Amino acid sequence: MFQKYWNRKLTGLLVIVIGLTLLCGFIYKLTNNEITLGYNEGYAPTQPIPFSHQLHAGRYQMDCRYCHTSVEESRHASIPSLNVCMNCHLNVKLQSPALKTLRQAYEKGEPIQWKKVHLLPDFVKFNHAPHIKALRGEQNTSTAYLKSCQVCHGAVETMDVVFQKESLSMGWCINCHRQEDNKEWLNQCSTCHY
Amino acid sequence: MREDKEMKYWMSLEQWKNDKTFQKLAGSEFVSPPFEPESGAWDRREFLKLMGASLALSSLGCLRRPAETIIPHIERPEDQVPGVSNYYASSYYDGGEAFGLIVQTREGRPIKADGHPQHPINRGGMSARAHSHLLALYDPERLKTPRRNLFNKEKTNKESIRAFLDEADPAIVNKLKEGKTALLTDYFPSPASWEAMSDFSKAYDCSHFVWDPLDLTAHAQVYKECFGQALVPQYHLDKARVIVSVHCDFLGSFLSPTEHLRKFSLSRKPQKDMSRLIVFESLLSLTGTNADERHMIRPSEGVNVLWIMVDEILSLKNSSAYSKLRAEFNKLKPLKYEEQVRKTARELFKHGKNAVVLAGDLSHQTKDHHSLLVLMNLLNHLLQNSGTIVDEANHYTAWSRSRPSIENLIQELNQKKIKNVIIHRTNPLYSYPNADQLSSALKQAEMVIYTGDRMDETAQASDYIIPDHHELEKWGEWEFQKGLHTIQQPTVRPLITSRDFEENLIVWARLGERGPRRLREASSWYHYLRASTAERGLSWKTLLKEGFSKKETSPLRQNSFNQNVLQTISKKEKEKNWELVLYTTAGLKDGRLANVSWLQEFPDPVTKICWENYLCISPSDARRLSLKEGQVVELTVLNVTQKVPVHIQPGQAPHTLGLALGYGRKGAGEIADRVGVNAYPFMSILKNKRVSAALSVQLKSTDKVIPLAVVQGHHSMEGRQIVVETTLKDYLHDKSSGIHKHKIFSLWSKHDYPREKWGMVIDLNSCTGCGACIVACQSENNVPVVGKKYVLEGREMHWLRVDRYYTGDPKKPKSVVHQPVVCMHCDNAPCETVCPVAATVQSDEGTNDMIYNRCVGTRYCSNNCPYKVRRFNWFDYSKNIKTPAGALNPDVTVRSRGVMEKCTFCIHRIKSKQAQARLKGEKLKDGDIQTACQQSCPSKAIVFGDLNNEQSKVRKAFEEENAYSLLEELNTKPAVKYKTKIRNNENKYGHGKGHNKGHS
Repeated sequence: MFQKYWNRKLTGLLVIVIGLTLLCGFIYKLTNNEITLGYNEGYAPTQPIPFSHQLHAGRYQMDCRYCHTSVEESRHASIPSLNVCMNCHLNVKLQSPALKTLRQAYEKGEPIQWKKVHLLPDFVKFNHAPHIKALRGEQNTSTAYLKSCQVCHGAVETMDVVFQKESLSMGWCINCHRQEDNKEWLNQCSTCHY
Repeated sequence: MREDKEMKYWMSLEQWKNDKTFQKLAGSEFVSPPFEPESGAWDRREFLKLMGASLALSSLGCLRRPAETIIPHIERPEDQVPGVSNYYASSYYDGGEAFGLIVQTREGRPIKADGHPQHPINRGGMSARAHSHLLALYDPERLKTPRRNLFNKEKTNKESIRAFLDEADPAIVNKLKEGKTALLTDYFPSPASWEAMSDFSKAYDCSHFVWDPLDLTAHAQVYKECFGQALVPQYHLDKARVIVSVHCDFLGSFLSPTEHLRKFSLSRKPQKDMSRLIVFESLLSLTGTNADERHMIRPSEGVNVLWIMVDEILSLKNSSAYSKLRAEFNKLKPLKYEEQVRKTARELFKHGKNAVVLAGDLSHQTKDHHSLLVLMNLLNHLLQNSGTIVDEANHYTAWSRSRPSIENLIQELNQKKIKNVIIHRTNPLYSYPNADQLSSALKQAEMVIYTGDRMDETAQASDYIIPDHHELEKWGEWEFQKGLHTIQQPTVRPLITSRDFEENLIVWARLGERGPRRLREASSWYHYLRASTAERGLSWKTLLKEGFSKKETSPLRQNSFNQNVLQTISKKEKEKNWELVLYTTAGLKDGRLANVSWLQEFPDPVTKICWENYLCISPSDARRLSLKEGQVVELTVLNVTQKVPVHIQPGQAPHTLGLALGYGRKGAGEIADRVGVNAYPFMSILKNKRVSAALSVQLKSTDKVIPLAVVQGHHSMEGRQIVVETTLKDYLHDKSSGIHKHKIFSLWSKHDYPREKWGMVIDLNSCTGCGACIVACQSENNVPVVGKKYVLEGREMHWLRVDRYYTGDPKKPKSVVHQPVVCMHCDNAPCETVCPVAATVQSDEGTNDMIYNRCVGTRYCSNNCPYKVRRFNWFDYSKNIKTPAGALNPDVTVRSRGVMEKCTFCIHRIKSKQAQARLKGEKLKDGDIQTACQQSCPSKAIVFGDLNNEQSKVRKAFEEENAYSLLEELNTKPAVKYKTKIRNNENKYGHGKGHNKGHS
């Protein structure tokens, strides 16, 4: 009876202690960005056309801006319109089954519906143009642009299927924005939220 | 006590009387309890349960975000960059008011209309309606395709089917060939369209009739009788020293209010030669609220007033001319306020060339309208202001044309002389007073074609409805003023299957192989238009590039006054027990844009009521009849009876009643239908002339009371120093006159603003209270519309409000002041300190930021805001009354339920300009960033900019002695300052005893 009572109390205590330890560990990891919740990291949806950045940006070293044309002037880097693809693919890989969807869409005049990989909530206003300008500094080579893209998008030129490399969480943004050495990098709430 | 009351500023009769309803409103922050169940009641427990469940669901949902797609173009148009706006010069016309626009489009859809900064008429200014016509483009109730109504013989059934134009066109042409056709339009000043119509008339033997609810041809015709040319002159009010208005709301509804507002404010600069505005009117109009001196007269007394002025000026001139007129005048009964009128006349005479008389707007067409206008012309002629203020050379062209009126059409239809009717730009079955007559006459026609865009009153009685494009989808060219040609560019491809009205004419001429070659062989309306502009010597390139082209007009000399006209002057109107005035409002005007929710919720500049029209009655009459605010009365004019709620309007002349036009639509859409009553049937037509004022009515009160949706009545400022008013004399003596200074002891340490600090100065002296800024803000910032029910509960969402205060006795208020109130962006913001989640914070650029995603909806901030500028989303208003997604600004978050919001100083504009400057490596210049309200203000009353820049306009204005902060004594240190309102009169203003000078 006595033993049984203690057993019950001990077990309860043990459960609570273990629970608390796990919780503390979880919170510790959360605050250190070791675990992220709900941030879509690694999200790699299947796209309607199996476009490979590894091939285009990696092997053929195409400039990022050849397709993502508005990255220097707009909020959006923009997905290329079909005629940009067809600049090459009217001559290259004409028979490729992977490009069947592209050719059909272009002939019919129906746009392709790409899956959005890097999705920010509506209340976050992100502007590509100033970020590219700040990250590339004075350099304007293809590599400089690629490097500035990589800061947030990871090594896209190695990705066969593009996935979300970074968490894109607010903490992750702020980590750059609050660097002491650059006061031009704003870190007000209204820098992104309005 | 009495004296104190005289001095006090008040905003509603309840406040003036200090009655219980007002005390209750002022005492509580939110008008209604926070959890008023919508319909199926939720108790607290159930709410918590649901909240718990939704929390669990939403946290699970967080693990994977919703999948979104990106859809690129097949071929991207050259000039279109996703996320970057394109701007097109276009124009706006709705009855008299006309000006240039710059339309902002994003990814191919127009999202905002702004004023064209160089256009000679508005110079960037806008009106509430011009902002709102953008929303009409996305109106879900526009017809998707042309329709055909299948009628039985009596034309009573309403079966409507889709019409295919390639089938309909030959059928229409066959009908057109069979018999005579009538065109029925309004007086829209588009030369090319009128050319097309006249070409078409040659093809099919058409006669052209007009019904224009905003018709000002009476002014032009009287001008012709007096001086020989039919025109409505332009008034250079900026050059005026004395402006006298007799029954003429030129700042609110007459002719071109946006232009008048701009010019009027130019003449109101507080210098020695500041103009004086003297108003004689019956209802309290926007012009009346801006007057230095305002006299209340009955609608029928306008002629008397002008007659006295003429008499006085003639006697001052010592001229023997016009002796007959003066003899006639002596027969008139003397008026009780004759001395005041004579004083005004002496003032007019003193300033001669720099004085002007404006009389008789649309709302005041009495039986004496003709005499009133003749006397006005005579007065202006005696003042010899032609060439200084009255500009005939650059007159408004719309009203110089004259076509037979709709009565002739009814007659000819009844005589079966006309077989087909084509109706364009006018909705006569709604806006024509004798709509029944017209409706039965239209049944005599074999074919009625209507170009309206919805199944409205006229569409329901038409055989074919072929919707015309919306103004933003259409090519066009306007000649608003002589020699001033403005382009109308399409900013989006037609959203519905519609066709230009002019294109119809071209197609029908081509199919029938009739008419002049240029019409028949034009490949489209666009080509016809280009050819027409080229014929008239206009450069298409200039039109496109500049948006307008101004040709020099040869100066017109005013001919001598034709004295024979004076014989026609008489006073027909007798004083009646009641005199009803049917007036147009700044919001709905003639009712054309009634289905635009922004306009329905746009508070009237004077009454501050929305979502309703009401019978304005003077306080003394209301007391006499013991009528309460909102009490429904039965109003009868001749044989028309309608039930309307009553609004007790301070400053309205006794024995006068006012009712707004534009309401009571049927078939205009979900928003407009069943809102208010249609006042057009009260109008009467006498010898083809409409009579809209001094109508004799019978009133019968009922027991029913309808609450009126007033937007001012809550958000009280408790009678502290809010508006500062002073006289020109005092101001010239001491610029800080009227401002009550406080010595402030601060516990707060100063904020550090290392880069810019944004600030704003609102000049109350320039502000006329027109309210264009309210809708500009709404359009720019995706501000939702809440509907009448929630306005009544004090939950309207306008980020910018324009408060209106009266001083003095309600029967004859001494003055009326308008004050736009935005978020003050206080340095020591009371809202910031009470937010438990830091959702509202001070930025290092001086703005008070509201972070929607952080807000949990405690509403503490709103409770603690002394300026009452915070708005809370009680429900998902943006879903309640939908702003169609196309009209939303993609740069501004659409806020959801349970979130506080408020004016942001247009932070998205600041951010975008800063980013642009950074990309170019340039520094921002003063004036680069404009807030939406500032941009749209026709009188340029708002200055915005960087307070840290010593050279900036706003900094200079901020430091001027006549600038004051609202509720300075609270030490909130607002980033918005106001400049005193200056009246050019001898009154005394202030806040009562001992509260005029500062204290320590």
